[in-house]
Amino acid sequence: MTRKVVLHVGTPKTGTSYVQDVLFKNRPTLLEHGILYPAERFDAHFLAALDLMRLPWGGLQSEAIGAWDRLAATVRAHPGTAIISHEILATASRSQVGRALDSLGLGRADEPEIHVVLSVRDLVRQIPAEWQENVKHRRTFTYERFLELIRDPERESRIATWFWGVQEIPDILDRWAGDLPPERVHLVTVPPPGGAPDLLWKRFSRALGLDGIDLDLQTDRSNPSLGVPEIALVRRINRMTNKELAPAHYRPLVREMLAHQTLSQRRDSPRLSLPPDLRPWVEELERSWVAEVSRRGYDVVGDVEELVGTTTQRWADPDKPAEKAVAWAGLDAIRVLLLDNARLMGEEERLRAELDEARAALERAYLRPTYKAREKVVRRLETSEGGRKVMAGYRALRGRSSRSA
Amino acid sequence: MSDPTDRPDGPDGAGERRAWGWVASLRAGGTTPWADWRDEAERGSRFLPGAQQLELLRRVNLLGRPGPALVERVLAASAPGRGRPDLLLAGASRPTSYGPRPVDPGDLPATELLRVATNLIAEDVVAAGLPEVQVPRLNRPWRPYEVAGVRWLAGPVRDQMVRRGRRPGGRGFVATIVGADVATMVELAWVSRCFDEGGPDWSSWIGGATRRPTPPPRADLPDMAATWAGGLGAHRVQVVLDHDRLPYALGTRRALAPAPVPSADAAELARWVTAPLGLLVLPQEQAELLRRTLLPWLLRHPGPPVRLDVEQRAWAADLAGRMARTLRDAEYAVLGSTDLLVPAPAARTQGSAGPDDDRVLELAVRLLLERGERTTGAAVARR
Repeated sequence: MTRKVVLHVGTPKTGTSYVQDVLFKNRPTLLEHGILYPAERFDAHFLAALDLMRLPWGGLQSEAIGAWDRLAATVRAHPGTAIISHEILATASRSQVGRALDSLGLGRADEPEIHVVLSVRDLVRQIPAEWQENVKHRRTFTYERFLELIRDPERESRIATWFWGVQEIPDILDRWAGDLPPERVHLVTVPPPGGAPDLLWKRFSRALGLDGIDLDLQTDRSNPSLGVPEIALVRRINRMTNKELAPAHYRPLVREMLAHQTLSQRRDSPRLSLPPDLRPWVEELERSWVAEVSRRGYDVVGDVEELVGTTTQRWADPDKPAEKAVAWAGLDAIRVLLLDNARLMGEEERLRAELDEARAALERAYLRPTYKAREKVVRRLETSEGGRKVMAGYRALRGRSSRSA
Repeated sequence: MSDPTDRPDGPDGAGERRAWGWVASLRAGGTTPWADWRDEAERGSRFLPGAQQLELLRRVNLLGRPGPALVERVLAASAPGRGRPDLLLAGASRPTSYGPRPVDPGDLPATELLRVATNLIAEDVVAAGLPEVQVPRLNRPWRPYEVAGVRWLAGPVRDQMVRRGRRPGGRGFVATIVGADVATMVELAWVSRCFDEGGPDWSSWIGGATRRPTPPPRADLPDMAATWAGGLGAHRVQVVLDHDRLPYALGTRRALAPAPVPSADAAELARWVTAPLGLLVLPQEQAELLRRTLLPWLLRHPGPPVRLDVEQRAWAADLAGRMARTLRDAEYAVLGSTDLLVPAPAARTQGSAGPDDDRVLELAVRLLLERGERTTGAAVARR
């Protein structure tokens, strides 16, 4: 069997969470077909990517220490195909890519066949999506500021560095696939909005070599987008709470409960898009990328022209949102927080009752005459050398390590 | 002047061959800047190292003779964390409309090179591990004590006591809160941060601290003493301002050596190392490695420590007055006059002594060379 490693290295906001969840949930089925998705937990490849690139990530980096080498060792030991997938790998430097490929066995006698998969989407959708991700990661800068930073030709800010690191398709492929034959580089394009719902998965399935395998495609993991008033609200929440709310609480409360589970359900709000004056710049950039990747002759799964985005969205400025709409979104947020608080109060009452019951049972046990008598004997024995020896013998016979009476 | 990124790399990839020629010369110990380099060579490895890595190697070559292992580590190192990616050499490749703008490595700021260098130092620190500490087996249980206060001063005192067989804690221990003049406590508060979680650089930190009416938490002696007194009772707390009285306070006859203070550049380098080290080890080990492994390396390179300037000392003197009143009103013992809290006046011409990026980079390079020699020496010894 040919050893093969399929590296899905990005880009963010191209359905990667869905793909990773399908792969994670179907690990046994995949293994029956000789395909390994080496992950003990859903975010295993995220941790490995953090470790490879030595990226701090809100404290998670402590869990990531050594994760890439462990992942690579598992992949090397697998005789068939192995898939690694995480979108932040897109930003790896040449030397980090070199280290990754070496650790996966490139250059060894039994080197595997390396395939790189890059899922891509037009910048018309990616630019607003990246700002939205920033806001959902506690950032407070305006959309206008974000657009300024990413247009700076020097790209010296962290925002610009990260954005282009994970979005600039020809550069990502230079770093990850500079030495690979073009037929081993698979570009999956995200279809424009309004197409068949399963079209993107079919493209991933082909690029990852999963066609013909009966996989469970149901997953509840997704990274839904927010409307303009909703994302404006989250940015304001960040500004109000960043100094007080611990990172460990932000993720479940703001990102998950408010943004993903509540505000993303408000589908009637205007969607975030590009300001009209930036569209010519973006289109020129997209067309230059289409020309570049077409020239390189990669295996395109989809249509490379889909990288030129179109929009029918009416421009709504998230820095100057309709205040009434933000207020409605805020009410929705308060409703959900109140309901969750009520649920927690109920839970607290239940636990308090349980604790009271346990305390009462303990007190009843302490009041029993036999307990009191035993306690007296133990106290007396502990006062003399001989008594302590008797107690030690008793405890050894009883098989208990605790020394408490 | 033409933009170097607009310059084509010449016919048949001559620019790229020139870059490989430079890489080969740097591998052999060359120190010629990229802008002056002309010779060509064939491709030497899978990818051309970034401008940051190549310029760092040139700086290493300028200061010493690195062994081959260190050369390859520098060339393969990427800066950790978010920030500018590995950059291409201006003129080494055909101009493209994508990717970060190629640079002349000579134009890179020291901080870009420090990102790469400190990643390597963090690896060296982890590889060196923690030094073994000789602790007497027998614990002398008399005069139970605990040392607290300004962490930079208290830690070494505790270590010396432990080496004398006097472990802290024990029934009815007395907490000795070690302080100093306010300027020193504030300066050491920043040094402590550098060896703990990193945090802001000196100028940002001291700028923020002096805008507040209260001392930074790590320099707030009355607050520390009050916290201990709240837990133990005032009769079990003593504040020591006069360091000559510290042995008496702790019940030891021999003198206690003062805590060594690293130079401003050394503290800044530790601050830089904190971040990449935190990606290699868990937080507790990180703090131990910074103080027990990295600090002794840095102390071999003495220099002036961080120092408050004249205005900042006036702010510190004002704080000292308030601290003195609080200590005098408190119920716990204070060993030494509260006048010792007042910082010594600085000369009018004396400015703030903070770190300098270029000097910090030079120190980082010297550390890399020292560790590289040790690694080579160890490898030779094994053979």
